[in-house]
Amino acid sequence: MGTPEVAIELYVLLSAILFVLGAMGVLLRRNAILIFMSIELMLNAANLALAAFARQWGNGDGQLVVFFVMTVAAAEVAVGLALIVTIFRTRQSIDIDTLHMFKD
Amino acid sequence: MELTLFFIVAAVAVAAAALMLISENAVHSALFLIVNFACIAFLFLMLHAPFLALVQITVYTGAIMVLFLFVIMLLGAERVQPEQTPRFSWMTPVAVILALAFLAVASTAIIQGDIELTTPRVADPQVRVANALSGAADGIDVYLNDERIAQDLDYRESTTFDAWDAGQYTIALYAAGADPEADEPLYQQPIELTTDDVLTLAAAGTMQEPLVVVAAEDMGPIDDEDGLRFVAINALPDRAAIDVARLTRGGERRVLIEGLSYGEASEAVDLQTGSHTIAVYPAGDSNTRLAEYEDVELDDQTAALWVFGYERRPDNSWRSEIVTFSAAMYPAFGGPHHVGELLFSRYLLPFEMVALVLLVAMIGAIVLTHEAREKRQRLVRRLANVPSPTVEQQAPGEAGK
Repeated sequence: MGTPEVAIELYVLLSAILFVLGAMGVLLRRNAILIFMSIELMLNAANLALAAFARQWGNGDGQLVVFFVMTVAAAEVAVGLALIVTIFRTRQSIDIDTLHMFKD
Repeated sequence: MELTLFFIVAAVAVAAAALMLISENAVHSALFLIVNFACIAFLFLMLHAPFLALVQITVYTGAIMVLFLFVIMLLGAERVQPEQTPRFSWMTPVAVILALAFLAVASTAIIQGDIELTTPRVADPQVRVANALSGAADGIDVYLNDERIAQDLDYRESTTFDAWDAGQYTIALYAAGADPEADEPLYQQPIELTTDDVLTLAAAGTMQEPLVVVAAEDMGPIDDEDGLRFVAINALPDRAAIDVARLTRGGERRVLIEGLSYGEASEAVDLQTGSHTIAVYPAGDSNTRLAEYEDVELDDQTAALWVFGYERRPDNSWRSEIVTFSAAMYPAFGGPHHVGELLFSRYLLPFEMVALVLLVAMIGAIVLTHEAREKRQRLVRRLANVPSPTVEQQAPGEAGK
């Protein structure tokens, strides 16, 4: 396992770009499912950085953390989508702008 | 080549993420996100994480995204009804500015931060002891400095690899059960352990003329699936350099190691798995065969150590012996074997906790959706029980008829 041909900075930079795109998705979109998908994108961007650094140090721990992030993301998706389904049933909408329960 | 590939995949990943962000239809967004995840799986492959790449595809692009698509379709929530005025109209410019500012800061940190690319990983030296010392009835005891590293080690047996601190040591051989304080060692010699070493300390020779050979092993993965790697040690009594060759079925002679001098270990050599006939010759002399070993069985993906030793007969003649020791190779970095080994050793507790989290999430999802249904059923039941006012007004009239 020699030194990587692609500099690790490039991977981390790509991960930062994807993370920012995901953050913009969370801030800009009004569809709750899309916000959820943007969060998944951000998690994946973080995973990419972790895998890149694991490669950099020749250390398996980073990859294990990626594995755990994936499992926790799967758990989060299950609960989150259940919540969205429940909210949609009671309010007939998943537009987060209309989901202000305390205002009116 | 790798760089071009990286840029292509990275461009596709960023484009897919951006399209996910701007497409109006949630189904299109989900599909673009799948493309993005597949790109990341590809990058995982390039980062020597094949296991993660496959998990990424099966779990993320497979299971999770199917769940997303299913929920989108189930709710018919492809698009949010366009609202006349967004509630937070100032949100869009502020969010874009903040995100770009974060990107600028992060990229500056990454580019200026000078991520160290040359620091090698450091591993403690790994040491094991192998006994190829013929004639010791009850085996041998081996000490590194004052610490016993092997006890009652029988002929043809070896210990497992143990991590030691780097530094100068003295290795001493004793007959089994000897007291290192009182008894004279059979043999001793200084050795130096440096980081990243994987060493086998092989005791060879006979009780009368023992010696210790330090063999550096290469436990890194072998590319060839049916391959194995071996290190040979010359401990033949002639004390002359030898050539080691493999004889094919046709009687052909393939030289594996040339000019291996007495008391030395060879470099690691890769070989195909199978049953081999190994022959030893004096260096540079292919006519005199010193010894021949038929059907040496070797397992794949192992690091083997061959000691060409001998047994002294009572009449002072000798008979050559090959003693083999084998050890499993280190699993390939990032492969399922490597990840599994870490998962079941150092990360067992987090692994079980994550499993628990998944279980709780599953129960949570069921409870959430189940309660909602029950509430609605209660509501329906209540609505059904309330007597309709029209019915009540008509009832007396009908009764009066």
